[in-house]
Amino acid sequence: MTHEKIILATEGKENQRSIDTYLANGGYTAIKKAAKMDRKAIIDLVKASGLRGRGGAGFPTGLKWSFVPPDDGKPKYLICNNDESEPGTFKDRHISSVNPHMIIEGMLIGGYTVGAEKGYIYSRWEFQLEIGYLEQAIKEAYEAGFLGQNIFGSGINFELDHYSGAGAYICGEETGLISSLEGKKGQPKLKPPFPALEGYLRRPTVVNNTETFCNIPHIITHGAEVFRRYGTEKSPGTKLFSISGALNRPGVYEVPLGYSLKKLIEEDCGGLKDGKKIKAVVPGGMSAPLLMPAQVETATLDYECMQEMGSMLGSGAIMIIDDQQDVVDLLRITTDFFAHESCGQCTPCREGTGWLKNLVNGILEGTEGPAAVDRIYQVADHMEGRTICALSDAAAWPAKSYVKNFGEEIKAYIEKKGNRA
Amino acid sequence: MSETVTFKLNGKDVSVPKGWTVMKAAAKEGVEIPHFCYHEGLSIAGVCRFCMVKVEGRPKLEIACNLQATEGMVVSTTEDEVKEAHKWALEFHLINHPLDCPICDQAGECSLQDYYMSVGKYESEMTRPKVLKPKALDVGDQLVLDTERCILCSRCVRFEEEITKTDALGIFNRGDRATIGTYPDKRLEHNYQTNLVDICPVGAFTSKDFRFKQRVWFLKDKKAICPGCSTGCEVDVYGKPEDSHYYRIKPRHSEVNGHWMCDKGRYYYDHMNPVGRLRKAISGIEGSRKFVDTDEAIADLARKISNSSVSDMALLVSPQYTNEEYAALLEFFVTQMGVKNVYQWREPTESTEDFDGILYRGDHNANTAGLAAALKAVGLENNIENQFDDLAKSGAKLVVALAPELSSTYPSLKEQINKLEELPFVSMWTIDGKVFEYPGINHAIPMKGFAEKKGSFIGHSGVRKLEQPFPAGNEHARDLVETVEALTKVMAHL
Amino acid sequence: MSVFSDGLHTKIKVLVERYETPRSAILPALHAIQDEKGWISPEAVEELHTVYNLERVHVKEVISFYDIYHDTPQRKFIIRYCGNLTCSMLGAKEAIHKIEERINELEKKSGDDCPFSLEVFPCLGKCDGAPVMMVNKDRVEHATVDKVEELLSKYAPLN
Repeated sequence: MTHEKIILATEGKENQRSIDTYLANGGYTAIKKAAKMDRKAIIDLVKASGLRGRGGAGFPTGLKWSFVPPDDGKPKYLICNNDESEPGTFKDRHISSVNPHMIIEGMLIGGYTVGAEKGYIYSRWEFQLEIGYLEQAIKEAYEAGFLGQNIFGSGINFELDHYSGAGAYICGEETGLISSLEGKKGQPKLKPPFPALEGYLRRPTVVNNTETFCNIPHIITHGAEVFRRYGTEKSPGTKLFSISGALNRPGVYEVPLGYSLKKLIEEDCGGLKDGKKIKAVVPGGMSAPLLMPAQVETATLDYECMQEMGSMLGSGAIMIIDDQQDVVDLLRITTDFFAHESCGQCTPCREGTGWLKNLVNGILEGTEGPAAVDRIYQVADHMEGRTICALSDAAAWPAKSYVKNFGEEIKAYIEKKGNRA
Repeated sequence: MSETVTFKLNGKDVSVPKGWTVMKAAAKEGVEIPHFCYHEGLSIAGVCRFCMVKVEGRPKLEIACNLQATEGMVVSTTEDEVKEAHKWALEFHLINHPLDCPICDQAGECSLQDYYMSVGKYESEMTRPKVLKPKALDVGDQLVLDTERCILCSRCVRFEEEITKTDALGIFNRGDRATIGTYPDKRLEHNYQTNLVDICPVGAFTSKDFRFKQRVWFLKDKKAICPGCSTGCEVDVYGKPEDSHYYRIKPRHSEVNGHWMCDKGRYYYDHMNPVGRLRKAISGIEGSRKFVDTDEAIADLARKISNSSVSDMALLVSPQYTNEEYAALLEFFVTQMGVKNVYQWREPTESTEDFDGILYRGDHNANTAGLAAALKAVGLENNIENQFDDLAKSGAKLVVALAPELSSTYPSLKEQINKLEELPFVSMWTIDGKVFEYPGINHAIPMKGFAEKKGSFIGHSGVRKLEQPFPAGNEHARDLVETVEALTKVMAHL
Repeated sequence: MSVFSDGLHTKIKVLVERYETPRSAILPALHAIQDEKGWISPEAVEELHTVYNLERVHVKEVISFYDIYHDTPQRKFIIRYCGNLTCSMLGAKEAIHKIEERINELEKKSGDDCPFSLEVFPCLGKCDGAPVMMVNKDRVEHATVDKVEELLSKYAPLN
């Protein structure tokens, strides 16, 4: 590794997640600098940095913050989306374990900028261990005077609390998360109105991903140009990638955007185990269309390249499908997952995810003929762009991708099985 | 000063107030945009994803219900892309639908059926087993719930949240297991349950009262005013005039009642049906009472009146008749004949100031204010205290009693009528066939029901008009205007 | 005789006052109830309604929506085994099969007293430790078919 780790700076140090380690590493100085800055200046700085949301959608963070109406006297909220439920993703879990104070400092700066005096970190329930670390970090921050009223005499108020989810992928969608925080089912909200105007309890709310917040202190301290030292023009900065599969060294890697996928797999991860070969790669979480081996050769990990290749960077969750895998079963896992997770509000998603699951399981049972393959594509095609949130699209993209790339293999499976319909 | 915006809808310029959605604008223009979850009386949900329209310059189709019309916007509801979207939206709604049409009350007024005809008409592409859910659940005194037919539009949940604020309904589970329901064993208890049947686009919520009684395409509907309380909700009465039979009442949108009516008013069709209705007049003037034609009964009464002195006569009037009926009645008896003893027939246990905060008022009469005004117009006082007891003690020798049309709104009715036994002659004008059972009633003229009259009430918020009468349920029924006219004619010859 | 212990009442009371709307307390209150009782009974929902004014329908919607809440009594140790992509590629199926076999045997011996139940879970968010399972609140990584019995025996005997 020839680049510095910014977000994972404390990784591997003794007591890596304690406030002492964070302070010793220059922590909680960015907020002090930000407290002396004009709010508009901070927004302009974040815009200039080109930071894009690290949760999956890649929306420009500065732009998102600029949507909050300034000084209208309404209570505002800042929420850290630590729900991380996109299968294949485990980077925010890692940050929560290794550097929780950077999340808090990023939120402090964000809260000051948008005028939010109340913040929540919303973690998925399955992060039981990490929730403990976050709650400990929050406690330490309060004790050290970095959370609460008039922190370090700056006039900034910021109360931070932790809220646990209860097992629902859809709570990773920002308005689904807000609904959950309101004590309801995690159903996404109709937009407009957008959360910046009407979010939690219909008040202005900003939701950002854990990793997004972690980039903020660095940008404040060192400025946009230094931030842009890494990455590409359209995808500046570093990104955490969760990479898993039959690899020698799966894990979380912080690399500059634009990094070679092949290099990450072969060098950083030490390649595939037991002589296995790559059959396909899921580059951005389960909802990302597959990359085939030829694409993997030249792919760079940034938003534009992934888009050009017909996929997406998403949450940066890379799963390696090796050549010993049965793609029909992987498709089954995918369609089962989305059918299980659809919140059920919108008809195309509710019924479409069920239909896809049904078709794929029919293939496995031997009750569907080869026409099912085209039907899967057709149903998925009509689930796109038709719903309140992107879960329907997220379910449609991989289904279409499996059919497009492995359609013949699936048809051969069906033939071998013999249609017992 | 409200701004207007002008935008193009299917090529035509449309101007609407700023803030209107394309859905609302289209409705005003008479352009149909298919939809399930949108309802004018409820908040916007945007979940059925059916009302898609094409907006020039935008890559994705938009839902019209949540799309604000802006100046210069160009919207199309007829492009192929939109039609394809509608077709698939309907397909998704139908894949787990049980298709109970042969046994479902909603048939004939079902949104799925209607849209299938206008938007669909194709072969279904779904071949997998359907999700099964609980059916025929008793969730309220007025309601049967079939959760399988439910298309999860959430109108009913929003109604419970926003209109009655009772939160009795929820949608449980995720994905295609999502199921509408109440909390187990907690039924709906409020007085607005049947509105859920109205707003449910399919046959998930059906009315217990109407269940399996009639196919809707055989029914005719006519506008009327609910006579059950002084609110006077606008309603449609549904009947089969060829059978002289009424089947149900539904609310009609108006400023007074919005989109709703209460459950009590739903039943005010039944007293006009043949069973239980007074179908012929009664005359006991020659001694024993018997059923006679109305003309004969009127002639008998005319003779009796002309042989009585005005000071021995009294009127007992219920506030459930129209303004026009009161005018005719009082003109004849008070102005022309000089009768001074006019009593009001009211329910002693009433508390007229009650109001449930939504629509239902404690004055269970359609025309309290109209009767008061009519009495004042002929120089009489508007006494409503203890009228019945005063009449019973008055020694009146000939009483003409205009009975309340809705016996159920007068719990003390039987007791009251029995008090009249002491009086020598009572002629009761009523729709209720039970009148024959009261020994104290010597003479009766069958009345029309409210849905069979033309006229007006004065309700809590002003004039309420009955404008579309059904033909009378039987040839002998009259309203007060007709009865008084006939009396006048006969008495002219005496 | 209250359904909740005094300690649980104290926890829930704090939760109901902690957020700007009492309704936000529903999720954490249900977690607190499950921590004490293992599941959420109709009596518990009734208690939340009568004591804390939370609408029964709202509570039921939440219980039915989220994977973690159970409205039927649970066994001592809930095994949530990840059935997602990487875990499946790295041996989840075999391990799940093994666990199912063991549980079947334990059930034959002691019926519902069997200390384990198994849920194949949509995702546990720790793919670099695949195959992964949780046992109640503990995350257990590398729970391959050859190791899984040993890992589970730390909680309760498997035979």
